[in-house]
Amino acid sequence: MIKIENVTKTYKSSTVALRDANVEIAKGEFVFLVGASGSGKSTFIRLLNKEETPDEGHIYVAGKDIGGLSSWKVPFLRRNIGCVFQDFKLLPTKTVFENVAFALEVIGRPRSVIDAQVPAILDLVGLAHKSSNFPDELSGGEQQRVSVARAFVNRPLILLADEPTGNLDPATSVGIMRLLDRINKTGTTVVMATHDRGIVDTMRRRVIELDRGTIVRDQSRGVYE
Amino acid sequence: MKAEYYVRETASNLGRNITITLASVMTVAVSLALVGASLMLRSGVENATRRWQGGIEFVVFMNPNPTQEQVDAVRTDLEQSPEVSKIDYVDKKAAYEEFKMLFADSPELVDSVDPETLPPSFRVEPVNKEVDAVEALGKTYSKMSGVRQVVFASKTIRLIQQLSSRLTVGIFVIAAFLLGAAGLLILNTIRMAMFARRREIEVMKLVGATNWFIRVPFMLEGLVQGLIGALLAIAALAAFKPFFQKWLPSSKDIPLVSGFQVSSGEMLFIFGTLGVVGILIGAIGAGIAVSRFLDV
Repeated sequence: MIKIENVTKTYKSSTVALRDANVEIAKGEFVFLVGASGSGKSTFIRLLNKEETPDEGHIYVAGKDIGGLSSWKVPFLRRNIGCVFQDFKLLPTKTVFENVAFALEVIGRPRSVIDAQVPAILDLVGLAHKSSNFPDELSGGEQQRVSVARAFVNRPLILLADEPTGNLDPATSVGIMRLLDRINKTGTTVVMATHDRGIVDTMRRRVIELDRGTIVRDQSRGVYE
Repeated sequence: MKAEYYVRETASNLGRNITITLASVMTVAVSLALVGASLMLRSGVENATRRWQGGIEFVVFMNPNPTQEQVDAVRTDLEQSPEVSKIDYVDKKAAYEEFKMLFADSPELVDSVDPETLPPSFRVEPVNKEVDAVEALGKTYSKMSGVRQVVFASKTIRLIQQLSSRLTVGIFVIAAFLLGAAGLLILNTIRMAMFARRREIEVMKLVGATNWFIRVPFMLEGLVQGLIGALLAIAALAAFKPFFQKWLPSSKDIPLVSGFQVSSGEMLFIFGTLGVVGILIGAIGAGIAVSRFLDV
């Protein structure tokens, strides 16, 4: 599903964000990216989403080399990749329903599809009863569920999560992890960058550890360190 | 679905910064109204002095019904004269068309004139355009058989033509600056709209909205501003047109300026030009804003 070959990414300030990385992730895998702040986890995620382009090496997503992807094709790549962030990125002027519907609306899905899929996904994340609330009326955990719903409503092949529990207390984090686990069980590949030792140690999934841009560990059923 | 989305987004963009939107619309309107007014002035002057365009210095009017021999004699003489650089024969029909144009504001006069009574004429551009030389040359034709009268371009007409062409240039320069300002204002309005919508834009990119889908509402915003400005200018000119035609005092002193007219065909052309320029300014402003400030 994802293949990273000899990828190096350096930012303008000449800090090396990723150095000669080689990773292969199969369809349906659940992968944790761990490491200190600035170790390159976010760059890893941003490269997969083509928010960044590697300086060297190749990245394959679903069998396609996305390095040479022309800019007008990038949106179609992103339709296969859902994204969840630490800061939720919900639109404050839209209700829960509208926030999720927006993701379908802007890729041209017809109203009938929106009206069928949005309630279903809100049901999946357990927020059907809050669909006409605004984000600021929800708890952090609920907001993150909305953001997961938005990322998953289009049934992407891959779900990227950049510290999705970073702003949440441990109990709420567990709920989000259950949700991601359920999504993973539907066959969606999940790549999650995290600092949360408890989560990594409990879930026992594949762990890739980064240290100053270099992959220092790639362990199946691993722990935080 | 898409169309509905574009209309909704564009309308909300326009409404969000209503004051600066109005500023750019009004600047477009004022500058285009100036362009339009100077185009009208130019057409008016051209129509009023039509027979004196292009270096024509005098006109040889024949009798209303000259014989073919008489016409041919004058033509041959003019064509063979080394002092004549160009002639233009206006037959009865062409003369009537021009008459209709000149007196379009008094249709009863046009109705009362029988095309048959209008004289054909030769318009003559002499090689030497000194006043004395032109007069001497012209007068030689007034004696020829079948010639009724020779009329010379007056100083007044020359003056009007010069004034109008300089005025047109001046107004165009001012209008160009204003149009530039309008373009910059539009660019800025759109930039502000983008800033206001930066969260939406970020999410749209994230979930895979195409670049054009993100751009279109902003492009439309610019187009709409340009178009509304142009429509305001057109409305202003249409309202102003009746006054414009009575602008030059009536024509006792300047007989040939009796018809200070802009035909409806010319007005349509002017309005069309304004519409196109308005849309163009909007599109250019929006295009720059979208390519510079919308990082998709």
